Amino acid sequence: MTEWHEKRHGLEQRIADWTSRTGFTISVRDDLGHLNLRGDLGSPGFLAAAEETIGQPLPQAPNTISDGDSTIFWLGPDEWLILTPAEKAANLADQLESSLSNQHAATNNVSGGQIALTLTGERVREVLAKGCALDFHPQVFTEGRCAQSGLARANVTIGSIGGDNKFLVIVRRSFADYLLAWLDGVA
Amino acid sequence: MFLIECPWCGERAETEFSYGGEGGITRPAEPDKLSDAEWANYLFMRTNPRGAHQELWNHAQGCRRWFGVERDTVTYHISRSYVLGDGVKD
Repeated sequence: MTEWHEKRHGLEQRIADWTSRTGFTISVRDDLGHLNLRGDLGSPGFLAAAEETIGQPLPQAPNTISDGDSTIFWLGPDEWLILTPAEKAANLADQLESSLSNQHAATNNVSGGQIALTLTGERVREVLAKGCALDFHPQVFTEGRCAQSGLARANVTIGSIGGDNKFLVIVRRSFADYLLAWLDGVA
Repeated sequence: MFLIECPWCGERAETEFSYGGEGGITRPAEPDKLSDAEWANYLFMRTNPRGAHQELWNHAQGCRRWFGVERDTVTYHISRSYVLGDGVKD
């Protein structure tokens, strides 16, 4: 069932057509699973248990990313998004569930509801700035930063990761087609 | 562009936020003991000042957290924003 849900989009063909026309590339990151983790940093043992299970630190500074085997986005003072290889996501969710069972915490597998896109290219910052009020200057939106905002009226999580002109954009699956159409027009 | 400062995310565009009404209003501890007038006062009556105003805002398109703001209703100048529970009334 999960597979059926996770593949329900028709973005690849659109992207292939479009990449051939512009110097700006998008790839659909179907290889990533999405987990939403909530928990109280002030609660003794939460941070240690979560970090041990995931195997890397949770970012505590607002709007930052921790990169390792998984990519962890700060979403709020008690909320994180963990992107992890899709085949490991369900397993990691179970492990977090059990290691945090004595905590006031929640792990939700949201892989079916949202989709990650990798945007690369020299003009990627310009393209994003066209539809988003955030400052995408290379000295402001530096690598390792993330933000939740609106891109062309769709709610997105944007992270700069893996290079100067490389961004990960996470959007609701139902908005993905719309966002692609918008990017098509802008880029 | 009107910028609002989220205590966590910093200054962001107004379009990312939603307004939550006047802040600093405490729910009566024992509503049963209030008269209808007192209860209505708590529910409906707001100060609507000209000048400094305590407000609640939600960073709806960002971190989705509620926080408090002190905004001047004439100039729109935001003198501070703060995490709720950290001193709504100074």
